[in-house]
Amino acid sequence: MAIFKKIHTWLEVRLGIDDIVDKRLTGYLLPRNINAWYSLGSVLLVIFILQMVTGVLLLVYYVPDADKAFKSVSIIMNEVPFGWLIRMCHAVGSNMMVAVLLLHMLSTLFMGSYKSPRELNWLTGFILFNLVLATSLTGYLLPWSQLSFWATTVASNSAGAIPVIGPYLVEFLRGGKLVGPPTLGRFFAVHVTLLPLIIASFVGLHLFLLERIGVSSPPFGQQETKSTWTGDRFRYDRHSNGIPFFPNYLLQDGTSILIYLAIFSAIVFIDPYLFFPTTAFIPADPYKTPAHIKPEWYFLANYQTLKVFPSEVIGLLVQGVAMTFLALLPFIDRGKERHPLKRPVFMGCFVGGILLYFAMMIWGHFS
Amino acid sequence: MQTNSRRTFLGLCLGGLAAAATALTAYPIFNYLAPRKQTSGEGTVSFPESDIPPGGAKFFDFRGSTGVVIKKTNGELVALSAVCTHLGCIVQWENVKQDFLCPCHGGRYTPEGIVISGPPPRPLPKLPFHVANGTITVG
Ligand code: FES
Repeated sequence: MAIFKKIHTWLEVRLGIDDIVDKRLTGYLLPRNINAWYSLGSVLLVIFILQMVTGVLLLVYYVPDADKAFKSVSIIMNEVPFGWLIRMCHAVGSNMMVAVLLLHMLSTLFMGSYKSPRELNWLTGFILFNLVLATSLTGYLLPWSQLSFWATTVASNSAGAIPVIGPYLVEFLRGGKLVGPPTLGRFFAVHVTLLPLIIASFVGLHLFLLERIGVSSPPFGQQETKSTWTGDRFRYDRHSNGIPFFPNYLLQDGTSILIYLAIFSAIVFIDPYLFFPTTAFIPADPYKTPAHIKPEWYFLANYQTLKVFPSEVIGLLVQGVAMTFLALLPFIDRGKERHPLKRPVFMGCFVGGILLYFAMMIWGHFS
Repeated sequence: MQTNSRRTFLGLCLGGLAAAATALTAYPIFNYLAPRKQTSGEGTVSFPESDIPPGGAKFFDFRGSTGVVIKKTNGELVALSAVCTHLGCIVQWENVKQDFLCPCHGGRYTPEGIVISGPPPRPLPKLPFHVANGTITVG
């Protein structure tokens, strides 16, 4: 133990660690009635790190060449020791990331945490959500299976519905008239460098904003602190008789992370192919479209929307409007009330929206 | 004292769990990254003698490294490891001068692999080979 004390003192003299811990962690107070849902952000941070680590490991053996990609993935799965584990963690992790992101967004919506003065938190979070979807989409192509190939064909095709520039945009995205080796090259570059960099910087911004503006107090439980922000000048939202982030809330974060890891490992070890249709195991064949090509579960609702509307342009427009509305929600919903039961209009839209989303998803799955 | 020992005990349990989790994570990652076993440990390499023009050389993969067979102008064959004994570059056969040049730091060897000049400390190792029915077998 003496050695730890020595290291601590050495660092303390040079960096003032205690000062940082005091100000940023122990001295950082959260509302007393904060609940477990607030820890989903930490869970997402852990998932992001896991995706980065497993992604870098996969790069060791993956070959981004249309002739060799499928083979290299097979080698990772069947020959490299624990290759299956690394790949399954990455593939299952991406699905779980979208799922946890949706929960994180829903809890933010439900508790009204997106409201003034946290518009920027919401906006950066919303952009992060879209970036993660883009990462999932570009990563999907890389194994170069039938599933990858045709899912990308269909997904990139929908950009063609945009008037005037559509057809050129599709070709630009694909790097050619059809999905082919040039598509793999650009999707690979975007998936492994561009998007992770942008996501990492937005995560940083999101956390900076969280720390700067202060955590919102949930609208439940006894009201310990009331927002005193009047919008005249910057004032950090402090919760004077709240609980310290470290160690109190970090323990909650840890608990949530462990619960997440338990669910995650259960899927990886018991049912790793949960998110894999059989077309994921056949090498891509540009001359043969498999029957019943369907997107990932998180794109099913979008897929069904496109099918419901007679014209692709309208289908895309509807989704664009819905997404823009969500992104700008904090600027539209200016009310101060945060309790869900005291916001009937919001609650109506919230429940209706979720039901609609699930209905479209199930319909898309079975149609 | 009572609470203190309880705290120490729980701390040790937690530390043990953390160590176990770390080991469980590190083991697969280490194995994933560990170099694969080379299959070509003891193999031999064969090719027809006519592959090598008089005064020329033929380079080939030999047991995970590189070997070379040269045919001197008088028709005599020599098989050597082509890995320079200085810092491991692959030596080049100079047809005109009839000797080996290492491009990295200018080491020079005779056709027999003896150092003429430059930094290499040792001669190039000889490789065992035999010729039968016009086929050279190294190894
Ligand atoms: S490695 Fe050959 S001379 Fe230095």
